[in-house]
Formats: sequence, C-alpha cells, structure tokens
Amino acid sequence: MTRVSGRERSIVVNGRAHELERGETVARLLERLGFEGRYALVERNREPVERERFDETELEKGDEVVVARPVAGG
Amino acid sequence: MADMLTIAGRPFRSRLILGTGKYDDFATMRAAVDASSCEMVTVAVRRVDLDDPGLDITGALPDDALLLPNTSGAETAAEAVRLARLARAGGLPDWIKLEVIPDPRYLLPDPVETLRAAEELADDGFTVLPYMHADPVMAQRLEAVGCPAVMPLAAPIGSGRGLKLRDAIRIIIEQAGVPVVVDAGLGAPSHAAESMEMGADAVLVNTAIARASDPVRMARAFRLGVESGREAFLAGVIAESEIAAASSPTTGVLGS
Repeated sequence: MTRVSGRERSIVVNGRAHELERGETVARLLERLGFEGRYALVERNREPVERERFDETELEKGDEVVVARPVAGG
Repeated sequence: MADMLTIAGRPFRSRLILGTGKYDDFATMRAAVDASSCEMVTVAVRRVDLDDPGLDITGALPDDALLLPNTSGAETAAEAVRLARLARAGGLPDWIKLEVIPDPRYLLPDPVETLRAAEELADDGFTVLPYMHADPVMAQRLEAVGCPAVMPLAAPIGSGRGLKLRDAIRIIIEQAGVPVVVDAGLGAPSHAAESMEMGADAVLVNTAIARASDPVRMARAFRLGVESGREAFLAGVIAESEIAAASSPTTGVLGS
C-alpha cells in the first residue's frame, strides 16, 4: 500500500515525516508545528533560512528541515 | 570614569558572564542572572522536540542581556560554523561562543578545529569568542584571525577545580591584545577573584552557580568575587616576599 499523494508532499522535519499543505512556507510550518518562542532557527537542506524569509520560503517535497531553538547551556 | 569591559567595541559594566545550563528551573536561573548583575548570558542551540517543545528560555532572560549562543555539540569546525550560521539566521546575535569539543570525558577543545572555525566565522562577520585550552600560542593565533576576546579554561568544564592552569593563563594575559575571559572550571568566588586579581578581564561561570545549594546567593557571591578581584587588580597587589615585614613600628617598644 502506497499513499502516492502523501509521498508527493512529504518532507522530513527533525527526522520525522511531515505532509506539506499546498504552498506551505516555513512560517506556516512553524505554525502547524505549534512552535512558540522568540527565536525559531530553521535549516532547509542544511542551509540556514533567514528569519526575514520565513514568510516567503516555500517548502518542496523531499526537503529536509531542522527546526531548532535556543536552550539552556553554558 | 567607570571601569568598563569592552569587547568588539561593546561596553559592559559587568565582568561576569553567566551560562544558563543546569539550573533546576527558569525562575531560579533568572533570579541568579539578576543577582549576578551580568549583562551577557550563554545559550545552546538544539533541535526542537516536536512532541514536547518546552518553554522558550529567552522569555525567561532579561531583555537587555546579550545572548551569546554557543556551538556546544560541535565536534568539528564545520559543525560549529553550521550552528553559528543557523543561530544568526534565526535572529540571534552574531556573537558566538565558539566551542569545538570532540572529547566527552574532559571536554577539552580541539585547537585545530577551533582555529579553523574561528577564522571562517570571523571572516563571515561573527564576533567570535572562542573557548580554548590555556595555550598562550593558541591565544595569539585566535587573536590574529580576528577574535575580539579569548576564553581559556581554568580547569575542565564543570569540575569546580579552580585556576589549575594559572601559569599559562598568566602568560595569555601578559601577551593578549584582546580581553581574556577565564571560562570553565571555576568552582568558588575565590577562584573568580583570583582570576581577576591576576588581570583577567572577565570570567564565565555556569555550574558553580547553577549547582550550588542556593544558586541565587552564589550568583551574588560570584559578583562580589569578580568585583573584589578587579578592584584588587586595579589597586595593585603587593609583591610577595620570602621574609616577614613588620606591620607595627619596630622602635619604641616598651621593653622590660
């Protein structure tokens, strides 16, 4: 059983499969993930995405995305 | 005129930098940061746990504190550069505490990878504050590639052992053309005071405060230790002598 339609829109976010909406941007991804906080640190295919471009950066099938954030550390 | 610490043209009143790791909760961390009067705090960068995103640490930190992202977790220059660029792209400051640590037991930094990353990041416009072994030659090399401060370790991270590398740090201070921040290994305010007395420009403390029985009180104690040591350095500590020198008059003794 293959879900072709799903696979066509699938990306990987922090190692987990994520089904894209049509035209899903980085900003929309963060919204769908329920991300809260001042700093979302986003990498797309190992390239950092500038915060100013979250609204306009559309994700594409097969993308590998990392969403990180500042945490406690020394 | 106020005695300010200046790094890369930015002035700081406080010579104490705090790490934010290992606190029991954000409220305690915030209270410790406030009690320390520090103006710069480190944070790490990690993937978000999508099942349990947790709270945003930056919401618990003072708005006017300079956030200093670190590159902890990086074992190579490439990994450190990746972390720094990710942090900057996401809106964190372009100041970075560079640490490249391949060794989990002693957490000692890799000098070759650290220098490589420092050069690349400095060329890319970052203000690079490198965590480094107490190696005077390495300090010079890091300064030469554009680091506006160097941060030698006093003893292994979190060990609380104090200024085990005192003699090497003294040489670094003597030769440095940039501020020297003693980072890692300090366990007590007296260690911080001793660092400052010998001319360090600042100290960075995390575990000694976060794991104290009363972190907020210990943060205050470190603030006082740093201020005390700095004042003593500016006042000029007397030279040591092999023999005694009487403090009371040696004439006019009553006699028998």
